[in-house]
Amino acid sequence: MEESEFVIVGGGPGGVAAAMEAAKAGVAVTLVDENERLGGQCFRQFEKGFKVADPEALGLDYKEGQELLHQFSLLGDKIRYLNKALVWGIFNNRTIALAHNGASSALGFKRLLAATGAYDRPVPFPGWTLPGVFTAGGAQKLVKSERVLPGENILLAGTGPLQLVLAYQILEAGGKIEAILEAGNFYKNWLRRFLGIWGNWDFLKEGLGYLRSIRKAGVPLLQGHIICEAHGEEQVEEAVIAKVDRDWRFRPSTARTVKVDAICLGYGLVSSTELTMLAGCEHSYDLRLGGYIPLRSTTMETTVPGIYAVGDGAGVAGRKVAIEEGRIAGISAASSLGYLSSRDAGEQIKPCLKRLDKIGRFRRVLDDISLPRRGLYELAKDDTIICRCEEVTLKQLKEALSDDTLQIKDFKRMTRMGMGPCEGRMCGPSMIEMMRHRLDASAEGVGCLQPRPSIKPVALGVLAAAEPAERKKQ
Amino acid sequence: MHTGGKRVFKGVERGEPFEIEVDGEKIVAYEGETIGAALLAAGSRTLRYTNKLERPRGLYCGIGLCQECCMTINGIPNTQACQTLATPGCQVETRKDLKRRES
Repeated sequence: MEESEFVIVGGGPGGVAAAMEAAKAGVAVTLVDENERLGGQCFRQFEKGFKVADPEALGLDYKEGQELLHQFSLLGDKIRYLNKALVWGIFNNRTIALAHNGASSALGFKRLLAATGAYDRPVPFPGWTLPGVFTAGGAQKLVKSERVLPGENILLAGTGPLQLVLAYQILEAGGKIEAILEAGNFYKNWLRRFLGIWGNWDFLKEGLGYLRSIRKAGVPLLQGHIICEAHGEEQVEEAVIAKVDRDWRFRPSTARTVKVDAICLGYGLVSSTELTMLAGCEHSYDLRLGGYIPLRSTTMETTVPGIYAVGDGAGVAGRKVAIEEGRIAGISAASSLGYLSSRDAGEQIKPCLKRLDKIGRFRRVLDDISLPRRGLYELAKDDTIICRCEEVTLKQLKEALSDDTLQIKDFKRMTRMGMGPCEGRMCGPSMIEMMRHRLDASAEGVGCLQPRPSIKPVALGVLAAAEPAERKKQ
Repeated sequence: MHTGGKRVFKGVERGEPFEIEVDGEKIVAYEGETIGAALLAAGSRTLRYTNKLERPRGLYCGIGLCQECCMTINGIPNTQACQTLATPGCQVETRKDLKRRES
């Protein structure tokens, strides 16, 4: 079996930063990424065929990403990089299973870093399965790197600053936005807490820039508003929006209908923890940070020795945190492999920690505003689909609810919820929130949908095409 | 009235346009676009119908996780339209035939 000293899963900002630090120290690094090209969701690059004519038109983070990826390319020959490679399992905590080039193979490691990122928090409400309803991240990918607008008249609904980024990108691309619904109370809180965030002036400047262009385009930014329903036959034709109370429960008397053909939903992000869960790392539940996240030491090591986790997959915090955490993990892994003295490693980590501390203060302000409230999970009606793959409705889940069914995994057994091809990514996070709010349940009590290999669908032919020599060895 | 998304040309130059075939109909795609994006630009949002309730589904997460955009692409079922780049002449099916199989 092939082996690599340090395997990094995920080619977003965290994974790339870690790979660079470790490679600079002399570690033999293998960086595995599912996508065609490096960058992850945040620094996604254009596919072959597109030529960038005007980088300015593509926003701040595009340039930032290009710079990081350029630095990475300078180290190119020192890092083994596998693109379009899916890590579908981890075994004995020393081997990962890879689907690559149409065949499955095993790759051993001494150290592993999960830099697996995050995805938009799914929120079920009537009509959310209609074509034309996108996650904010999905819409962003379309606008940013495929240069296709999700619709002709677009509604943005959700919470937090990522919505403003998407709105800015849609407007810059010449799209039309009906309104931006912010469930929280953004302005008021932002202004009230300005004083605490002087240290992050560049963050602030970025945010204000987005707000300015939204205002200039005349797009209403409705705070304390939520989307309650989407209607349409074959696709989205209209949306019902309403004001919410403090708990984000909508006030029916304020409901009104808007004609839109696309809805982009951004209710924060959920950490992708399939790999760290499969490895048996200990996790704790923190809604502010993206649900279940792996417990980590200050060197980004999980509770399983030799397995590290950084970036949004280890607690949602955005690209700047991911880069600093990635650097720390890369340096720590190099040190633990004997490439750096612990003193040198400590010296190198110090500035990263300093920058992390500075970013941390700003994040807390945003977290408070954007923390999903209970009303969000009361939008679904009895016939609303909760598990999109297996088409399980809220009513079916309610019927399955009994004294013996208080853990998420019990619903799996009773209703097939979470057993479809998305492997519980779309229904699991909402089910945890819905169950957690019951009086008789606690976060620990409701559990989660334990990931199983393969953590993403892999064709049988790919497994069957595994190297015969490897099978004999095992 | 609604024709789906439209292509943006600001800031980038697109690659060569070519045709792909969706349920026997030809639509235009550009090099570097996924099949999901090309279909969206052509105004086709329904990419499949669900097995049990036969409801329409389209691009949702857009980043390869939700599996809602699974189509039959070049004869291979369960292929994610959001992750598969369009190539000249590729054959795409929404699998509307599943409806008939049920009845």
